[in-house]
Amino acid sequence: MNVRLASREGLLTGFINLCCILLGLTGLAGTMVGGWFHLSSRQPGAWLLLLGIAVWGGVRAVRRVPDPSRNKTLIAGLVAGVMHGLTLAVSLWLISTLLDAGAEVRKWLVQLTPEAIRLLTFGLSPVAAAALMFVVMTTAGLVGALWVRASERYPWQRTLSKGPTTVRTRFLALPAVQNFMQRKHSQQILWGGGLLILLFFPFVLGQYWNYTLGTVGIYVILGLGLNIVVGFAGLLDLGYVAFFAIGAYIVAILTAPAPHGIMMNFWLVVPIGIVLAALAGVLLGIPVLRMRGDYLAIVTLGFGEIIRILSKSDALTDFTGGPRGIRSVGGPGLFGFDVSSEFYFMYIIILGIVLAAYVTLHLQQSRVGRAWMAMREDEDVAQAVGIYTLQYKLLAFATGAALAGFSGVIFASRNKFTGPEDFTLLVSINVLCLVIIGGMGSIPGVVAGALVLKGLPEILRQLADYRMLAFGALLILMMIVRPEGLWPSTRRQMELHERAEQSGEPDAGSSPETGP
Amino acid sequence: MAMLEVENIHSYYGNIHALKGISLTVEEGEIVTLIGGNGAGKTTTLRSITGILKPRQGHVRLEGEELAPYKPHQIVYKGVAMVPEGRRIFARLSVSENLDMGAYSRNSKSEIKADLERVFELFPRLKERRNQVGGTLSGGEQQMLATGRALMAHPRLLLMDEPSMGLAPVLVESIFEKITEINKEGTTILLVEQNALMALSIANRGYVLQTGEIILHDTAEALRTNEVVRKAYLGIT
Ligand SMILES: Nc1ncnc2c1ncn2[C@@H]1O[C@H](COP(=O)(O)OP(=O)(O)OP(=O)(O)O)[C@@H](O)[C@H]1O
Ligand SMILES: [Mg+2]
Repeated sequence: MNVRLASREGLLTGFINLCCILLGLTGLAGTMVGGWFHLSSRQPGAWLLLLGIAVWGGVRAVRRVPDPSRNKTLIAGLVAGVMHGLTLAVSLWLISTLLDAGAEVRKWLVQLTPEAIRLLTFGLSPVAAAALMFVVMTTAGLVGALWVRASERYPWQRTLSKGPTTVRTRFLALPAVQNFMQRKHSQQILWGGGLLILLFFPFVLGQYWNYTLGTVGIYVILGLGLNIVVGFAGLLDLGYVAFFAIGAYIVAILTAPAPHGIMMNFWLVVPIGIVLAALAGVLLGIPVLRMRGDYLAIVTLGFGEIIRILSKSDALTDFTGGPRGIRSVGGPGLFGFDVSSEFYFMYIIILGIVLAAYVTLHLQQSRVGRAWMAMREDEDVAQAVGIYTLQYKLLAFATGAALAGFSGVIFASRNKFTGPEDFTLLVSINVLCLVIIGGMGSIPGVVAGALVLKGLPEILRQLADYRMLAFGALLILMMIVRPEGLWPSTRRQMELHERAEQSGEPDAGSSPETGP
Repeated sequence: MAMLEVENIHSYYGNIHALKGISLTVEEGEIVTLIGGNGAGKTTTLRSITGILKPRQGHVRLEGEELAPYKPHQIVYKGVAMVPEGRRIFARLSVSENLDMGAYSRNSKSEIKADLERVFELFPRLKERRNQVGGTLSGGEQQMLATGRALMAHPRLLLMDEPSMGLAPVLVESIFEKITEINKEGTTILLVEQNALMALSIANRGYVLQTGEIILHDTAEALRTNEVVRKAYLGIT
């Protein structure tokens, strides 16, 4: 009975492994790992994937055993490993024999290059290679079984999946940390220390990383803004890019030599950009915020597109530069020095993030934050307890827009250019994604989300064509493993877990840090 | 002067004429009940009082003051709180947070604290469960919470929409006892119910609503013996 289930798991994962080989994913893993660690060989990466899948098969098989006594676990792992090994060994033998006989396997399976095969066979004869594969995969199945046993004894696996949260709680519980937190100015010291470290960053990073992380930073500010709108107030805004565009075009129009030649000082433009974007938020908000849910999403989406299309329309070419955009956007100067390199922009961005985070935190903990929370939960009832929902929605919209406008100003000025194609729907979607991945309503979550969403593609660069595929897969995986986001707010975490633990004791979720 | 005076209001949902000239009064200190079948317009009447739905015609006055110019949230500040139909507690907030939201319209911390004590005294169960997430409360507890939340606004007039809905008879009885208790402590109550027998047993007066019109109005006692009411709403022949 269990043997059958276990062998089925072995076969299934063996088949998956085979598919990876045939589709070239195994070779890809080799390239990727090789690239990261500057290895000359692709073998380590390829085998890492092969073994990983086999171990996973063992784990799955053991999970099927209802009564995991020591022997039964090991047997299940062994069975899965054997089946997994058989699948791969037979296939490998078949493929290499065929290849040796001169069959044109590559006609159907383009990825099966001789090099790809050599990754698996180490150049051995078909029979020897198959035998090696069998032995290794069987062992891997056993390792999977042992893994489960070990993780049952030491629940580190759970620690891993709850990673950041657990680490944080543990850290905060340390006596030294506790002592420090009870001191008078501990908060201020922490903030100051963090800021100091941040200020050293741009020195250490090269130009490339200053640019890349600068982009991440711009998205952090965008994310903090949208987090207010979506995460706090619960308004689904899909046209958020519009306010980003408004900020960018304002700095471009006011500082570039053409088409208007106004050439204002950058520092004067920053507040103008923020205020005008916020104003646009209010103007759009007044007619639109009476709608709810999906309607709001669609109308805002339309607004985002309208702004982009307007910016490239013929009618406004003289004003916005049309499809070609505006060049030579001005950068910031300081006492006569030009401080518009990536390096200096990093400081401006860091400063922007700190300010944005401060504003967000402040709002969240105030009466306003409480009103948003009620509104997000139930708009009618929020009114019935005395909350003027329209006003608070407008406030959320305006604050979000202001932050987007701010980041737009930085963005265009840093690129020294702005054009309509910088402001596609994809930007709105990206920002929304990073808010969700980070953990809705959580400020550190936004930072984590931006790092992943904008930083990960950089790390995956070696994958070339497969980059976006791998990126998408990772995002899906992340949402499965941590649906509440990478760094959720305590509240949201409680909401998601309460469903799973509903039957638990009545005081579930009453940890001291729960309060707003 | 009456606590609440509704005079000949007509309310619409688009073209649907939901209230066709309703008039009713609630005197200070009273429990008045509004009974009627499904779709009679009971909830609509309450919505017209709280300003979520503005009547196209007629007047709603609170202690003589016309409510028409006020927005729904302002009417809360005037001293009208509502326990909505289907309870609608904030499911993902804890019990304390729910109660805290109920006091949103108020500023004095000490007064809020006193009212919290009062709510916990009235519903000790809520105190036991104050850290529990609202959505995981039982139906009866949720009704307590919805009532407690409304009381946290310290209303002079409390509107209750079908508090007995979906509760077991024992629980209904205890909820109605609590309503009497709240009333004794000085809160005027307009109680909307389908459970006419229970409502009439605690109310001073009652109105019977049918398809947007008041068809009967009398003391609770008289209504309980009224032929029409007995047939239509009490299921007694
Ligand atoms: N949002 C709405 N849009 C259109 N018609 C509505 C709306 N809400 C209520 N109605 C209609 O108005 C009439 C009165 O509804 P109301 O909800 O006031 O009834 P009720 O007496 O509270 O009924 P119940 O006891 O079932 O809650 C009904 O005919 C209903 O269909
Ligand atoms: Mg109703």
